[in-house]
Amino acid sequence: MPGCALLRAADLDFAYGDDAVLRGVGLGIGPGALVGILGPNGSGKTTLLRLLAGTLAPTRGRVTLDGVDLPRLPRRALARRLAVVPQETHLAFEYSVLEIALMGRYPHLGPFALEGPADLELARTALEATGTLPLAHRPFTTLSGGEKQRVVIASALAQFEPGGVGQVLLLDEPTASLDLHYQLEVAALLRRLHADRGLTIVVSTHDLNFAASVCRELVLLRDGQVIAAGPTREVLTPDAVRALYGVAADVRWHDAAGHLTVVPLGPAA
Amino acid sequence: MVPLRRRLAATVLGFGGVAVTACLLAPLVGSTRISLIRALDRSAPFADNLDAQIFFVARLPRTLAAALVGAALASAGVVLQALLRNPLASPFTLGVSAGAALGAMLAITCAGTWAVSGVSVVPLAAFAGSLGAVAIVYALATVKRRGLSTEVLLLAGVTLNAFFSALILFVQYFADASQTLRTVRWLMGDLDVGGYGPVLAALPMVLLAAAGVALLPRSLNLLSLGTEAAAARGVNVLGAQRLAFLSASVATGAAVSLGGPVGFVGIIVPHLVRLLVGADHRLVLPAAALFGAAFLVGCDVVARVALAPLELPVGIVTAILGGPFFVWLLVRQR
Amino acid sequence: MPEPPVRGSGFGVRGSGFGVPAMNLAARARGVLLAALLVSGAAACRGAAPARSDPAAGLPVEAPARIVSLVPAATEMLFAVGAGPQVVGVSSFDAWPPEVATRARVGALLDPDVERILALRPQLVVIYDTQEELRQQLSRAGIASYGFRHGGLAEVWSTVRDLGRRSGHAPAAGTLARDLAARIEAVSSRVAGRPRPRTLLVFGRDPAALRSVHASGGTGFLHEVLDAAGGENVLADVARESVAVTTELLLARAPAHIVEVRPGAPIGPDAAAGLRDAWRVLPAIPAVRDGRISVLVGDEFVIPGPRLVVAVDRLARALHPDAF
Repeated sequence: MPGCALLRAADLDFAYGDDAVLRGVGLGIGPGALVGILGPNGSGKTTLLRLLAGTLAPTRGRVTLDGVDLPRLPRRALARRLAVVPQETHLAFEYSVLEIALMGRYPHLGPFALEGPADLELARTALEATGTLPLAHRPFTTLSGGEKQRVVIASALAQFEPGGVGQVLLLDEPTASLDLHYQLEVAALLRRLHADRGLTIVVSTHDLNFAASVCRELVLLRDGQVIAAGPTREVLTPDAVRALYGVAADVRWHDAAGHLTVVPLGPAA
Repeated sequence: MVPLRRRLAATVLGFGGVAVTACLLAPLVGSTRISLIRALDRSAPFADNLDAQIFFVARLPRTLAAALVGAALASAGVVLQALLRNPLASPFTLGVSAGAALGAMLAITCAGTWAVSGVSVVPLAAFAGSLGAVAIVYALATVKRRGLSTEVLLLAGVTLNAFFSALILFVQYFADASQTLRTVRWLMGDLDVGGYGPVLAALPMVLLAAAGVALLPRSLNLLSLGTEAAAARGVNVLGAQRLAFLSASVATGAAVSLGGPVGFVGIIVPHLVRLLVGADHRLVLPAAALFGAAFLVGCDVVARVALAPLELPVGIVTAILGGPFFVWLLVRQR
Repeated sequence: MPEPPVRGSGFGVRGSGFGVPAMNLAARARGVLLAALLVSGAAACRGAAPARSDPAAGLPVEAPARIVSLVPAATEMLFAVGAGPQVVGVSSFDAWPPEVATRARVGALLDPDVERILALRPQLVVIYDTQEELRQQLSRAGIASYGFRHGGLAEVWSTVRDLGRRSGHAPAAGTLARDLAARIEAVSSRVAGRPRPRTLLVFGRDPAALRSVHASGGTGFLHEVLDAAGGENVLADVARESVAVTTELLLARAPAHIVEVRPGAPIGPDAAAGLRDAWRVLPAIPAVRDGRISVLVGDEFVIPGPRLVVAVDRLARALHPDAF
């Protein structure tokens, strides 16, 4: 992968008990990259994302940020560099949108410190960046799926100090339960964040067209192993689609869309 | 949005005022009419001053006990609801009160006339029972090396509740009727402590639990997003879960040893408080502790005067209030 | 307000089958008293009193050769009127007179052993009047039953007469009832005219501390025993047999004399002193301040039968020592 890696996984194994999920996975994500981890359900995408975020420990191998093993970094320090947007957020209690955005400030506050005006400002900026500032005082539970997702992204953004470097945003299947309209919204948002803030973004998805529209680089994951990695235009081929999904497909550049599109043709012979 | 600092001050002052008022007024109300002036009159010897005796020996200790038990149970309720991510959880969900009940029952049935420096063995046995239950549930929930699982915690607690209840019935079979009567009365809650001793004995444990709980509010907020999301924001999830479980359990164990398993306080008060101050645990926890104290002091007053000169067990008063409250909650949500 | 229903199933101890378990008689007798008080409390709330079980239609009222008694008080009465030889089965709590040791045990209020009862082929079974289901079972088996009713002294005398009549010893019963009433009257006269101390009559509490104190209210045989013994019940205005006494009530009623009654064998002076000492936590009560706490141990205090006379006598001696 081009550039020196900011976030690197080396030789990762992970198993739930006897159930091996990842085997020998290695990848490097450079600063400012927009990487997609693409694969069918059950390929280990979510697990890989969790390992990269440091919320899960590998059974073998290591994950490093700037060359430092994740477990060695203090939790808060790590949270100021790495933010995760999970697939779904189920709230136990009725928090407002602004309160959720403010939760992203946790890694910046001391044990008994209360959020100050600076934190409030940052949270609002994050909400604005995702277009959810007008919703600030609404209860989170009353929002639509797309709005919820964007609020959670804002909450993750709030973990980053503005103007910082080497900040990584990890998203797990951000469009899995969203309507087409919201899928496009999120895709546009991610591209904008990448362009405006220089964030490094890693997205896991099984949606081929979403990956094609957003990601500059792809890592193809099947049955817990990386079968290909590299720039999207090189990696996303009909052979790759067949290898991943067992589906024959046509992959071509779409001028109006401005990115590759994948059209499934039928089950592979 | 009003800054949190200001809201916190307003919350503490507001609910604190209610709690203090309740504690000051409650000893003045009861089946016997007394006057505060006579009670505080130092000129007459204490032995002749009935008002003072009733105020200081009968009513003030039980008001303090009610405040302590109410605060402990309400806080434990908030913490456990956050830990289990379930607004229906109560301090008794994880088997703590069943363990205490078993301990108390064994003491009532088997201990005869044992006493530890004049204090009945029953509260000590209840506390020991509650700690035993906590240890079992915790051990079960941490069996897999991957830390604390809240699903297993819940299952272990529910199982332990059922198992201990069966054991209690088993011990009851061998108890005579008077012992069973005493146990049933204990199970209904009894704040008539008759002195400051039991309150002072329970206080250290409650304070210890309070110290633990004081570290939790922000972590509990983040845990509401989910353990993954909390961990990703830098929360020490396992540490926070352990601390939450242990402080809530110690608070519950101490409360149950002091006044018996008084139900509904640990569910009603957190809900009411959330309706009033929102979901931020930095407001909910102090508000719940203060409101819980006031609430149970109020229930104890009702228990004392509703059928004067007889007394309703306080657990019945909280149950009578709790049932309709839940119905109202349900109707409101429709 | 009615006593709350007691939860649990199968508690109480089966006297039959297990033999007499290793639990002291006193505890069990006290258990019976409390159970009976519970039961009478429940019965009192049922509005119209249930009709006494008369012999089932068709059965002549002749002296039954075999009687089973589930009620210790009734057992004592039966023996006292001379029907002892007819008694073939007693409850698991029975301990008096000594002859009951040779009789079969058939359970008690909460766990009557119907099979055992039937196996003894009785013509008359004395049950608690709240044991409705048992009464029906016996009636279906063609066995007459007598429902023992819990109440004050008048109830006791009338029960003595009833049982005498039902067991074929009517004259002896009449004599006994008059005799017992007279003896109690004699004690009352002895202490008449003396000032009646305000007394709290406690029959149950946590043995180690001053919690769960239960005392006699203004109704029931304990209250009447106290009254006959020349004491004034501080809880006379509470129309219940059993009152859970709170700290406030203790202080407000300020009894001048506290009497603790317990069933069972006599206890040593150390044990009695220990029981009295528990009251030290409330020195403001006049009785505690003046050291007027009496501990009276004996089954006569919990069984509303012929031995109530002893209870009245002992209580009077405790309250008015100078009259004896």
